Amino acid sequence: MKSEVETYSVWASASVRKLAGQRWQGRPVSSPEETLGDCPGLVAVGGGRMMDQAKYFRARRRPGMRLVLVPSIWGSGAECSPIVVLNRGGSKHIENDAAFLPDDVIYWPELLQSVPPERARQACGDVWSHALEAFLSPLSSDEIQSQLASLLGELLRLPLMADARWFDVSARACQLQARSSVGLVHGIAHVLEAPITSQYPSDNWGHAKLCSVFLWPVMELNRQNSSKWSDCCAQYKVDDSAVSSVLAELHAREAYRQTLPLLKEHWSRILRDPCTRTNGTLVRQQAVSFFEGWVNR
Amino acid sequence: MTNVEKLKDLVVEVFLVDPSEFHLGLRRDEVETWDSLGVVSFAVGVQETFGYHLTQEEALGVRSIGDVITILEHHGISFREE
Repeated sequence: MKSEVETYSVWASASVRKLAGQRWQGRPVSSPEETLGDCPGLVAVGGGRMMDQAKYFRARRRPGMRLVLVPSIWGSGAECSPIVVLNRGGSKHIENDAAFLPDDVIYWPELLQSVPPERARQACGDVWSHALEAFLSPLSSDEIQSQLASLLGELLRLPLMADARWFDVSARACQLQARSSVGLVHGIAHVLEAPITSQYPSDNWGHAKLCSVFLWPVMELNRQNSSKWSDCCAQYKVDDSAVSSVLAELHAREAYRQTLPLLKEHWSRILRDPCTRTNGTLVRQQAVSFFEGWVNR
Repeated sequence: MTNVEKLKDLVVEVFLVDPSEFHLGLRRDEVETWDSLGVVSFAVGVQETFGYHLTQEEALGVRSIGDVITILEHHGISFREE
């Protein structure tokens, strides 16, 4: 007799499809839409974009179907977030609804073997972006900031490489940012992702890489704008210089240089992005010149 | 820079309006970008510009530039000398 999960459809990203097929014997599908109407459940194995697609499909099209999420990499925290970010017509569409939460989450550390080192480092940058932008968010309460300060201490002890412990901290960072907000790093990533992947299709640009590259300059802009970062570090005992060292390590100068023409071209859209508008410090129109000048540091 | 000029600069930066649209009687319902996210970024800007942290009730209750001036003057930030 088959166990229930063996009757579920299995949707896995190309890099982990073989492993997923060995673990779950259910019917493989190449998109959530391929699940049959009477299918009792869907196992989605992949990154943040795939998990968000699966969450949205289940909530809006098959609310009775069970959903099991298996992140193939950490960073997005999509597996435990009520938020979905979808690509629509080249721009990002964000929805927040408890109905997006999956029924089960499975962390499968063996999948880390398929993650290239550079991709792993960028996923770490994604987690750092969630944690730092939520820590500075104007919508963060004392309680959320306190939890984030503790989380930042944990992040400082983790190497910027594939390590199963990242799944847990990634999930917690995502849950905390869902209760506050993110900021300019995410505003930039959401606006630039489509044009930069279109312009440089072979350079592996994506959300995590954009977050990693922009986190250091954005945090320095925040520091220049106001004393909020220093004040928060002092209040919650966050090691400012240790954090700056990590951000410098995540930054990639040549990749950053590649983004600048697009940053300038899309700056007015970035200013209007919902994430930018909940940044921890005020993002002024002239801040684009800060980013242009940063390249010469 | 006077406090009125600072406030004008802030409104232009936060709500991305043309400087010519600013006047002391400007109302929230006249500014498309003065939505719930605008309330958040405006409160951040007021803190950075005037050093006063709007409470949640104050930020949500503001209906016009005049309301902001009333709150700030109540906390000792004068707009009258100008």
